[in-house]
Amino acid sequence: MEKKYWNPYVGGIVLGTMLFLTFAIASQGFGASGTFSRMTAQFLVDSDKSWLDNAYIASYFRHGDNALLNWTVVETFGILIGGFASALLAGRFIFRPDKAPSYPMPKRFFWAFIGGMIVAVSTRLARGCTSGQGLDGMATFSVGAWIFMFTTFASALILSPLFKKQWNDEGEAS
Amino acid sequence: MIDTLILPLFKNGFLSPEANMFFALIMGIVFGFVLERTGFTRAQHIADAFYFRNLAVPKIMGSTVVVASTWMIIFSWFGWIDLNLLFTPATYIWPYVVGGLLFGAGMVIAGYCPGTAVAGLGTGKSDALVFLLGVFAGMFLYFILYPFIADFASSTNLGVLKLHDLFGGNEYTSYILTVALETGIILFMMLLQKLTRKGTK
Repeated sequence: MEKKYWNPYVGGIVLGTMLFLTFAIASQGFGASGTFSRMTAQFLVDSDKSWLDNAYIASYFRHGDNALLNWTVVETFGILIGGFASALLAGRFIFRPDKAPSYPMPKRFFWAFIGGMIVAVSTRLARGCTSGQGLDGMATFSVGAWIFMFTTFASALILSPLFKKQWNDEGEAS
Repeated sequence: MIDTLILPLFKNGFLSPEANMFFALIMGIVFGFVLERTGFTRAQHIADAFYFRNLAVPKIMGSTVVVASTWMIIFSWFGWIDLNLLFTPATYIWPYVVGGLLFGAGMVIAGYCPGTAVAGLGTGKSDALVFLLGVFAGMFLYFILYPFIADFASSTNLGVLKLHDLFGGNEYTSYILTVALETGIILFMMLLQKLTRKGTK
């Protein structure tokens, strides 16, 4: 039997207090996208040192030869464990994709991959994602975080009709 | 005589780098746990917000920001925390506009963002795994493109820019603006949800 998800405001109080604690102790907030950038850079440099000629990759190796010795990388590893533990305890751990029942699996995987690529490129331009900008930036009153979140939401709203079929079958109660 | 204890601990030298790394793991676990408990690990839940079907995601994000900044203002009021030592990304106007437009497209296409996909992978979502493979591919693409877009990526850099730098005043001005904007946006979305009549929650 699946448990119900938390009330959104209860979630906000817990998450907001955790975000404050993280700032108060670590001096920085949550993050995620940087981990994947660093992992990719580390993989490339390990396979061929000439990747260090790339200025973006080189910026991760200014203070040492391990780009993965980083607060956000360690924290992201924790997110995986936490998600797993919570799903297991709630009876929600199940191997499957998230999509409308009748939506074809290969198409869902195709869009998930393309979406992932676009998200990755955008986080490099925006110096963060929904965690680093949306939560950390907004909670520390950054103007850039508001620019990022407004444009994110505007773009998602405009494109949303094109991807409706992925999530809910016609006439299905949501 | 020790220095007066003031937050944040790490930047003020009250926490060793090793202890801070251990704290990162613990906080990540708790963050992933809460993301799962609040339904952030479901691509459908996240996408629902863009159709005004279920506003749980914007409600959680908005209240998280309000609660976190409320703690910050209270602690700052008593002089227990130095807000200037907290990491805030610099503001790059045009890169953020383009970044945001792309990010929104990627999110509505995939239904995930990096953090929720990691937690989603932990819950067994196969599409979250595919999404993350796409993220690696996208990072690779960015590195390749970087020599050509480096100038744009670092253009219109205003440095660390807070709301009160724009409108005058101090942190309290920013705090009031933040609470007002977040509350206003959530109420406006709830109104739109009512008008489009799609909402169930």
